[in-house]
Amino acid sequence: MGSVALTGVMAKEAAKAAGPLAPQKPMLPARAKNVIMLFMEGGPGHMDTFDPKPKLNELHKTESKSTKSLASGFKFFVGSPFKFDRVGQSGIEMCDQWKFLRDPDVADELCNYRGCQAESLNHPEALFHMNTGSRLGADPAIGAWATYGLGTVNQDLPGYMVMTELAMPQGGSRNWSNGFLPAHYQGTRLRPEGTPILDINSQSYKSRDHQRMALDALNFLNAKHSAKHPEHKDLAARMESYELAYRMQMEVPGVIDLQGEPEHIREMYGMNEKDTAAFGKQCLMARRMIEKGVRFVQIFSGGWDSHDYLERGHSSRIKSVDKPVAALIKDLKQRGMLKDTLVIWTGEFGRTPDNNRRGGVYSLGRGHNADAMSMLLAGGGVKAGSIVGATDEIGSEAVDVKHPIRDFHVTLLHLLGLDDNKLTYFHAGRYKQLSQFGGKVITELLA
Amino acid sequence: MKNHIIAASALLITAGGVFADDSKAEFERLFTLRVKPLLSEKCFGCHGGDLHKKPKGSFDLTTRSRFLKGGSEFSNALVPGSSAQSYVMKMIKWEDEDYEMPPKKNDRLNEEQIADFARWIDAGAPWPSEERQKEIHLAEQSKKRTKDGVMVTTSGGLADEWTFRRYQPEDIWAFQPVKKPRVKSQMNPIDALVRSKLSKAGFKPAPKADARTLIRRATYDLTGLPPTPNQVYKFHQAYQKDPDQAWSDLIDRLLASRHYGERWAQHWLDVARYADTGGYSNDYERSNMWRYRDYVIRAFNSDKPYNQFIIEQLAGDELADASLNKRIKDWNKFQSARQNGKQYNDKESQLLVASSFLRMGPWDPAMVKKPQARQIYLDDVVNAVGQTFMSTTMRCLKCHDHKFDPLPTRDYYRVYAAFEPTQLAERPVPFAKHENLERFEEGKAMTERLWKFASAKEQELIDKREATARKWYKENNREYKTQAQRKSDPDDEKPPRHAGLDYIEQGRLKVRAQDEWIWNRRKERYQPYVQTVYNGPVPGGLNARRLRMNAKANNKWRPDSRILTGGALEAPGDQVTPGVLSALAVPVEGAPKNDPYQIGDKLNGRRLALARWIADERNPLTTRSIVNRVWQYHFGKAIAGNPNNFGVKGSKPTHPRVLDYLAADFVENGWTIKRLHKLIMTSMTYQQSGKHPDMEKLLNEDPKNNLFAYFPSRRLSAEEIRDGMLKITGELNTKGGGVPIKPEMNMEVALQPRMIQFSIAPAYTPSRTPDERNRRSIYAYRVRGLANPFLETFNRPNPNDSCEERDAASVSPQAFTLLNSDVTTARSIAFALRVEKDADNLTDQIKRVFHLAFTRHPSAQESSRMAAYVKEMRTYHKKVKPERKTYPTKITRSLVEEFSGKPFEYEEILPVFENYIPDKQAADVGPNTRAMADLCLLLFNSHEFMYLY
Repeated sequence: MGSVALTGVMAKEAAKAAGPLAPQKPMLPARAKNVIMLFMEGGPGHMDTFDPKPKLNELHKTESKSTKSLASGFKFFVGSPFKFDRVGQSGIEMCDQWKFLRDPDVADELCNYRGCQAESLNHPEALFHMNTGSRLGADPAIGAWATYGLGTVNQDLPGYMVMTELAMPQGGSRNWSNGFLPAHYQGTRLRPEGTPILDINSQSYKSRDHQRMALDALNFLNAKHSAKHPEHKDLAARMESYELAYRMQMEVPGVIDLQGEPEHIREMYGMNEKDTAAFGKQCLMARRMIEKGVRFVQIFSGGWDSHDYLERGHSSRIKSVDKPVAALIKDLKQRGMLKDTLVIWTGEFGRTPDNNRRGGVYSLGRGHNADAMSMLLAGGGVKAGSIVGATDEIGSEAVDVKHPIRDFHVTLLHLLGLDDNKLTYFHAGRYKQLSQFGGKVITELLA
Repeated sequence: MKNHIIAASALLITAGGVFADDSKAEFERLFTLRVKPLLSEKCFGCHGGDLHKKPKGSFDLTTRSRFLKGGSEFSNALVPGSSAQSYVMKMIKWEDEDYEMPPKKNDRLNEEQIADFARWIDAGAPWPSEERQKEIHLAEQSKKRTKDGVMVTTSGGLADEWTFRRYQPEDIWAFQPVKKPRVKSQMNPIDALVRSKLSKAGFKPAPKADARTLIRRATYDLTGLPPTPNQVYKFHQAYQKDPDQAWSDLIDRLLASRHYGERWAQHWLDVARYADTGGYSNDYERSNMWRYRDYVIRAFNSDKPYNQFIIEQLAGDELADASLNKRIKDWNKFQSARQNGKQYNDKESQLLVASSFLRMGPWDPAMVKKPQARQIYLDDVVNAVGQTFMSTTMRCLKCHDHKFDPLPTRDYYRVYAAFEPTQLAERPVPFAKHENLERFEEGKAMTERLWKFASAKEQELIDKREATARKWYKENNREYKTQAQRKSDPDDEKPPRHAGLDYIEQGRLKVRAQDEWIWNRRKERYQPYVQTVYNGPVPGGLNARRLRMNAKANNKWRPDSRILTGGALEAPGDQVTPGVLSALAVPVEGAPKNDPYQIGDKLNGRRLALARWIADERNPLTTRSIVNRVWQYHFGKAIAGNPNNFGVKGSKPTHPRVLDYLAADFVENGWTIKRLHKLIMTSMTYQQSGKHPDMEKLLNEDPKNNLFAYFPSRRLSAEEIRDGMLKITGELNTKGGGVPIKPEMNMEVALQPRMIQFSIAPAYTPSRTPDERNRRSIYAYRVRGLANPFLETFNRPNPNDSCEERDAASVSPQAFTLLNSDVTTARSIAFALRVEKDADNLTDQIKRVFHLAFTRHPSAQESSRMAAYVKEMRTYHKKVKPERKTYPTKITRSLVEEFSGKPFEYEEILPVFENYIPDKQAADVGPNTRAMADLCLLLFNSHEFMYLY
C-alpha cells in the first residue's frame, strides 16, 4: 500500500516538473475523466421540469402561508402549467415540454437528483456557491479545482473552458475564477461572439508571419536578459507563456470552427433552428473540446428566473436547451465518450411552490427556493436511469437523500477520482478545499 | 473487510501493573490534557460525540471500553500496552490509504500529537474517571506555564476546555507585547538583525546593487512609475560623488513627490477593497467613493500619523459630529445641521470621508431579509477591521471560539456590538477645498443627457400603457386610476398589468426604468455626498440604491447585543457589552476594573473607543501589522508571510526581531510611515543586489529567500505596467484626484452586455479625451461587476476580498494582451511618435527607446538586431494598410424578456463617442512609424520592462 502511495506522489511530482497543467493521476479510481456542466442560470423550477407536484395543481391559486421566500404579503400556490409523464425504460419523470430528452436512448442515461439544497436566495451568491463552494465569490471554481487536481491532457488549450451567452451570468467571471489557486487554473471564457478569447488575434494589419518575426525578436531580447539573471526562475515560465499563446492561436479556431462537422450532427444539436442554435453550437463545441482533451467545460444559459409568466418563460427556456442537451448525450454515447464524461445540468437553486402578487395581480410564477431543486446527471459513473432523493408533496423542500451543495461538490470530485479532503491548497494559514469544511459523497448517485 | 484480530486481552491485564503510581498519575495527565482533547476535537465529530448520530464504521471512541471494542472493520484499533499493534496508530499516521484519520488535511495530527498517542497506548491506555479528569484540569489551570505551553487569559470561551487550553509561545507570537531588541551595532538596525541571522546560516549578504538598479527600484517602489533617463543620469552623477548622500536625497525627493501617495494608497485600497460600486446583483453605483480614495492618497502624501489614520477611518463620523455638536449645542439645530450637512467645515468633512472605510465591502440587501442583511454587513465589517488593522481574520470566531488562536467567540460579538449602531448612508457633506472638482460640468451634462434619454423612453411606454388603461376604465365604466392607485385593486377591477404593451415593450419598459434610476443615481456623483455611516437604529427599509440618514431617529435606541450561537440569528445566546479582543491584555481606557476590555454602550462613541484601542501603542497586532505590510511592499515579501493573518496558522515571521524593532521604533517616532520607508530603504538589506555570489547554494538551502540574503525580484503590478507605459510614451497626465476617469479598455468587453438584476448595465464608455483617459490607474473607475481586462490580466485583485499579496503568475492571456490589444498598440504608437520626434536617425531612435524603457543604452548587438527588426518591419508595413478603428454612437442590445422568455432588442446611446478624441492609431501613421511602434511594443513585452530587480 505504501509503495503505491509513494508512486502516486512521485508521479505527481514528475508531472509538476512538466508544468502546472501537466496531466496527473487521480488519487482514487476515477469514474469520470472530464466534466461538461450545463448551468441554467436563474434557477429552473424543479416542479416545472423533472419533479411533478400534482398537489400543487389542487392548491392552485389558494393562499399559501409559507414564509420561505423573501417576498412578503399575500401569497398563493401555483400549479405547474405542464403535464408530466414517465419516459424510457427507467420511467424517469419529466414534463411534456421536453421533446428530445424523453427519447429513451437519452432518458435512460439520466440520473435525476432531487435532494440538493442551496443556501442563498440571491442569484450571485447562489451562483458563486454552486460554482465555487463559497457564497462570497472569491474562491476557486470547481473547474479550477479539477484542473488543479488532474491537470489537462491538451497542453495547447486551457484545461478549463467556459462558454456564456453574450451577457455574462450574474457575478461574472468570479464564477470561473482560480481564486487563491495559481492563475493557470482559471476558467478561460470563450466569448460567444466576436473574438473567442480576448486579444487572441493580432491586430488585423499584422499577419502570422509578422507575429513570428516579432516573437523571434522578443526572444532575442529576453534570452539576453535571462542569461543575465539565471537566478530568476520565473523568466522561463514567462517565455513559455508566449509560446503557448502562439500555439493557442492555432488551436482555438479548430475548436470553434464547426464547418467540419457533418450536417446531420449540426442538425441534431439544433444548430439549424433559431431557438436552439446558440446553445446547440456551444454543446457541440463542448464535445469537441472534451475530444481534444479539455478537462472541464461549463456552459451558462440564462433566463430561468420566472417570477412571472412561468408557462411562457419555462417552455421557451426548455425549448432552447432540450434538443442540444439530448444531442450532446447521444453524441457522447455514440462516440463512446459518455462513460468518461460527466454531464451535469443544474441551476443555482430551485423555485418556490407559491408566488406573491406582483404588480398587484395574481402572477403565475415562482420565487427563489434554496431548499429544493432538481439536477440531471449523466455518464461518468452516475446511476443511469434513476431518480435519487425526493422533495416534499409541494416541492417546498428536499426530504430524502438531502445534501448541501458541498456534498454535491465532494461527489463530483469523487467521480473524477479526487478526494476533497486531500485536494487542498495551503492559503492564508489553512489548507483550503472546495467543500470549505469537508463533506460527504452522495453514494446514492454512484453507479 | 479487514481482519486484524490479535489477542489483546492478555496484554490488557498486565498493562495496568507495569507502572508505578507516580507514572500512572503522569499518564493520566497525558490522557486528560493531551489525548482526550485530541479525541474530542478531531474524532468525536464522527465517532460517537453526537448521541443522535450513528458513529462512523460503528466505531465509538467516547469511552475506553467502546474504543477497545473497535468498529465494524477493526477489533484491534486499540491494544493497550502496544502502540505497535494498535491499528489506530496506522490510521493517525495515515499509513493505511483507506483509513487516513482524521481524513481532513487541516485536522491531521502532527508528529508530537502522534507521539502522545503512542506513549499513552504504551502506558496501557489509562482512562481516568470524569472526576479524576476534572481534578487534573483544575490542578493544571492554576499554572500559567507548563511544558504543554502557556495559558492565555481571555474573556472566556464557550467551553472550559477552550478557556484553559495552552499555546506554544512561538505560535502566539503576535499576541505578545512588542519587545524592542537592543541593537548595539552602529549599522542600520535592520542590517544588524538581518545579517546576524544570515551569518548564523553561513552566508554573507549580497553586494550592493548598482546605481541604475537602485534608482529604478526606488522610483517604482515609492511612486509606481519608472525614472526618466534624465533622473537616472543625474542620480548616477551624484552617486559617483557621494553614494549615501545621493541615495538619501533620492528617497527624500521621491517621498515628497505627489506620486508617492498614489502608489502607496493603492496598497491600502487593495487591503481595504476599494471599488466605485457596491457589487452583487445590482452592483449599484457608490457615486462618491472617489472622495475616500483621494483621502487615502492625501493621508499618505501628508504622512498622516498611522494611529490617527486608523481612528479617522473607523470613527471619523463620530469625531466630525462631536465637533459639529460643539459648535451647535442646541440638539434640534444640531440634528438638522447633520441632516443637511452644510455646516461641516473642511476638517469635519474629511473625517466623514475617512469613515467611508466602513463602506468598502460589497453589500446589497436585495433579496435578503433585513436581519440577515444587517448580519452580512456586520460580519463583513468586523472581519475587515480585524484583517486590515490587526492582521487577524475574525471570520473564524463567528460560529465558535477560534480553533487555534486565543480569540473567543465572545470577543467577536463584543467587537460586533461596537458596530451594531452603525448605519450606512450617503450623507451630504460639503466638498473640501483640496478636493478636485474639475470637469464636473461636462460630466454632469453627459449624465443628464443619458438620464433624459432613458426617462423619455420610459415615459413613452408608460403613456402608451396608460392610454390603454384609460380606455379599459372607460369601457368598464369606472373612473381612471393611475398605476399606483390601482395597485391593490382586485384583478377584475383594473386593466391587465401590462395593458397595451407587447412583450417587447414590456421588456423595454423594465430596462428604461432601470436606466432612469441608474443615471439619476449617477448624477449624485457631482453632488456633495459621502458614502459613509452614522449611528442610529436600523432604518425601516434597506435598499442599497438609496441609503439616507435619519438624524432624528431615536437616540435612546440600543441594540440588544448577544452572542449568536453557531453564528445563527435564530439562536441568540448570552448578552454582551461592546468590547475589544481580550487576549492582548491591552485594557480599554476608562473601562471598569472588573472588565478592562469593555467599551461604553452608548449609541455614539463605541467605534471611537474601539478605534483608540486598536491604535493604542501597546496593541502589538496593530503596530506589527502595519510595519509588516510596509516591509512587504518594499521587498515584495513580508516578514510574517500572511499579512492578513498573524494567527497560529499564519506564517511565522522570518525575522521576529526586525518586526519588533520596527514596530517599537515606529511608535516611538510618532507613527510616521515616511520615516519608516527611509529607515528601511537606507538599510543595506534594501540596497543589496538581486544577485548573490552563493546563489546556487542559497537556492538550495533557502529557496524562498527567507534570509533576505539578496533583493527579491518582482514583476511590476498591473497599475505599474499601465502607468509605466504611459509615462514612457509621454502620454501620462499626472493630474491627481477627482471623479473616476475611464481609460480605454478592450472595446468588446466595454460594450458587452453585463447582467444586473432585471436588466443590462449601461455600456462602459471611456472618457472623451486622451488627457482624461491617460491618468494614473488609481483614478480609474472601478466596477466590481466589470473588471478592466488589462489590469485584471495582470492580477489586479478582485475587490470583493481583501488582498494581502498579489499574484504574479505568467499566463498566456498576458501575452495576448501585451502583444495584440488595442490598448498596448496605442501605447506603442504613441511611444514611436515620441522617439521619432526626439531623434532623427534609426540608431538614435533605438537608443532613445532603450533609454526611456530600460533606462540604459542598448548594447551594440542589441542595437543592430533591433535595427534589423525595424527595417524588416518597415518592409512589411509598406505592404499593408491598417483599417481605421471606429467608435459606435449607439448600440442595439438584446435581452431575454423574463415574462415571455423571448428575446427583445432595444437601443442604447453612447453619446461620448459623438465627439470623441481617440488616441493615435495605426491608420493615422505611416509605415515607418508603425515599424518603430513594433519595436516599442517588443520592449513593453520584454522581461526587462516587466521585472524589477
